[in-house]
Amino acid sequence: MEQYLEYALYIASVLGALSLALMLPKERPGIRFIGPLLGTAAMGGLWLFLACSGIWDGRESGLASGSFIYYYLFSGIAIVSAVKVITHTRPVYAALWFVMVVLASSGLFLILSAQFMAFAMVIIYGGAILVTYMFVLMLASQSTSSDHASQAYEKVATEPIMASAAGFLLLAVLLSISFDYHSVDAARAPLDPANTDAALIESTLANRPLKAVKTFVNNAAGEPVEVISPAPPPNLDPTRLANAERIGLDLFQSHPLGLELAGVILLVSLVGAIVIAKTKVPDEQHAASG
Amino acid sequence: MPETVMNSLTLSHFLMTGAILFCLGLVGFITRRNLIIMFLCTEMMFQGVVVTLVAFSRFHLNDTGQTFVIFVLTIAAAEAALALGLVVLLFRRKGTLDSLVWSQLSG
Repeated sequence: MEQYLEYALYIASVLGALSLALMLPKERPGIRFIGPLLGTAAMGGLWLFLACSGIWDGRESGLASGSFIYYYLFSGIAIVSAVKVITHTRPVYAALWFVMVVLASSGLFLILSAQFMAFAMVIIYGGAILVTYMFVLMLASQSTSSDHASQAYEKVATEPIMASAAGFLLLAVLLSISFDYHSVDAARAPLDPANTDAALIESTLANRPLKAVKTFVNNAAGEPVEVISPAPPPNLDPTRLANAERIGLDLFQSHPLGLELAGVILLVSLVGAIVIAKTKVPDEQHAASG
Repeated sequence: MPETVMNSLTLSHFLMTGAILFCLGLVGFITRRNLIIMFLCTEMMFQGVVVTLVAFSRFHLNDTGQTFVIFVLTIAAAEAALALGLVVLLFRRKGTLDSLVWSQLSG
């Protein structure tokens, strides 16, 4: 039985590769609906495979009951949008579909109770990075977009069959590893006793404010001024840590060097972007080719 | 199919979504010729990796996976700034975003 399910995995990968190869932009578009049909079949097969492989599994995931509906919903949106990103012939629409990928995976993070990551994704990816992409798309759009010869590179994909084969070969390998639940899921680490909420609160957050605190600070004239700290939410459970609090503790306690290096990388890329933007382009080359 | 099987989510569910996003990004990077879309596809590969990291973090009850997502975000932001600056520079030289224009590079 398990071998057949393994074959189902490979068949689904081949179907996915075929559907993607059919959907990628070509000079002579074939029959429109075969690609999406095959892709839906591949996805449905994969999910059926997952549901079947769960029969022997029988472990509790610990996620909220009912979240499986949202998993299928958000995964479906993410995958369909990802296919639209790589098959759409107009770059602006591809960027907009990528926003859908980001939003759907933020939904997946909410299912996984990673609220901080979900909102960071929406703000940084959907807000900052995508706006940069849209600006560059507008800056670098051809003024003579009417002639089709200059736009041909948008309409035709290079090596769609070979690329799909390579990508879905990788997918088949990845899936056959991640569906080997005996080695992946069974090795779930036991909860570290130093990593529980109670231990973390006791070791680092023993005197975190649970109600609004009044303090006095000196103003510019040297007179003490009363300052009231913002009150925590009224339904705060003092024995539990929020997702953002846990990530903050882990980031600053376990990875201080990585944090400093991330700051250096951001600074270097800031300087590098300015240097690249100020680079002079030789006029004769631009005139010769443009 | 029993209902209990259908409505239980396992780690494999999320790993599958992450793997599919990564592979779609890879195929897009190889096939598309627009430089901006190519970099958009690398961002999609990042998305796949991030979904995988957060899923591992949740199922192993270890916050380090989510901390690494912050670093992934940092690298993605730095990469977007530098890569898009380069793309604008290349566009100013040749007047097109076609990556095959640059296939004859020498020295």
